[in-house]
Amino acid sequence: MTSIAFDRELDARGLKCPMPLLRARKTVGELAIGQVLRVVSTDRGSIKDFQGWADVAKAIELLGQDTEQGPETLYVHYVKRLA
Amino acid sequence: MDIGKASGSEWSIQESRDRLNRAEDFFVLDVRNRDEFDAWRLEGRAVPPTLNVPYFEMLEEGGEDDFVDSVVAYAGKALLPRLPSDLPILAVCAKGDTSAFVAEGLRRMGFEAFNLRGGMQAWGEHYEVRSVVSEPDLSVQQVSRPARGCLSYVVASGDEAVVVDPLRHVDRYIDLCGQEELGITAVIDTHAHADHLSGGLELASRAGSPYFLHPYDAVHPIDLVPARIRFRHLADGDRIAVGTTALEVLHIPGHTLGNIALLLAGRYLLAGDSIFIDSISRPDLGGRAEAWSRLHYESLGRLLELPDDVLVLPGHFSRAGEAGDDGAFRASLGSLRQRNEGLRMAAEPAETFSAYIQASLPDFPERYVDIKRVNAGLLEVDEDRAIELELGKNLCAMAAAAAREDARSEGRLA
Repeated sequence: MTSIAFDRELDARGLKCPMPLLRARKTVGELAIGQVLRVVSTDRGSIKDFQGWADVAKAIELLGQDTEQGPETLYVHYVKRLA
Repeated sequence: MDIGKASGSEWSIQESRDRLNRAEDFFVLDVRNRDEFDAWRLEGRAVPPTLNVPYFEMLEEGGEDDFVDSVVAYAGKALLPRLPSDLPILAVCAKGDTSAFVAEGLRRMGFEAFNLRGGMQAWGEHYEVRSVVSEPDLSVQQVSRPARGCLSYVVASGDEAVVVDPLRHVDRYIDLCGQEELGITAVIDTHAHADHLSGGLELASRAGSPYFLHPYDAVHPIDLVPARIRFRHLADGDRIAVGTTALEVLHIPGHTLGNIALLLAGRYLLAGDSIFIDSISRPDLGGRAEAWSRLHYESLGRLLELPDDVLVLPGHFSRAGEAGDDGAFRASLGSLRQRNEGLRMAAEPAETFSAYIQASLPDFPERYVDIKRVNAGLLEVDEDRAIELELGKNLCAMAAAAAREDARSEGRLA
């Protein structure tokens, strides 16, 4: 389990693609530069999608990702606003 | 959220397949990430021209709340010269949600655009049934899962059915046998599969019938630990009755140690993973390519002794073009002796065959070790992991890698 400090959390559980990314993008824009958003999703595809998004998006960095086993598998992403 | 879900603005998998098989022209805009796009594609007898643009690239073009706005902005800026104005465009994604927005955006721009309902997940779960043997008291139906290139069989005589190599969505077989009022009397796996999750145990348990496997395949070849499953032992020469006829077990070690083929009524060879249409199975998935190549050579030699008019019904295909006009995969042994490269090599001296195998082995997919663990009852997986393990086409054939290379050079894959 990754322990990355974060400033805000986005609950994207149950949201279908592309909503987790769409909401994450909007929420990161509301953070101060240097702050970190933690996104919790139930969409398995979000792992690769957040990686791909981080590659093309300007001004964000994907600090880490986690998979948490439970009654429902959770996919967690840490996104930092760079600029 | 229901954008593009209206009837008429989306195509089902079956509808898309029908259009491909009729060679109707359309264009695919696939918005999945590159890894998933590389792993597998919607395909039929024709392969449509395709452009891969991951949806998160479109996301970077404005539209904070409405993804359709982003699609329109991105397409206007970067896609217009790359999209055909005179062809229908099918938008494709992983589950059919994001692509609905993409199709909506394209329609707003004046394109004739449709969404692939259920996306590639539905494609992965799509099955097709074709009759390959139809006699007064004997029928064989080929149940294919085209996304994975897997073929399974329902052999029926009288009111009895034996299911061979069932894939994991076992409802398909239960429904099929139910519709035709067939009772499933046996379920057989021709070997412990490495490329896909077997439906054998579950189907047998739900049908209340025995599950058959050769005992040599009840040891995980990499872990060297015994399987934790209940099964009845198959041996060379066994006959599994079905109605008025029977399936004869031919033990043909090579692809696996417990690999079998089934000779039905003396003239139909359910070949499992031995002889395919374009190719032969690979002998290296147990991690002992050299030793198993020799077994494979002897086993293929045994199958080559069967008469020319024996109809081969394979366990896999690598490309849709291997099928006949009716979409079914089958060929006489006589015709395969001529056109199947691996089979021609199996008729050469043993050293030549071994050299051919060593020179043309495809990559060993790492996840195959876990798939065999699941099939042996040594590992449990949830649906997400099952989908992940089964992503993409099988790589059980010697020619599969070569076929992928061809596809790549033709620009059909990214």
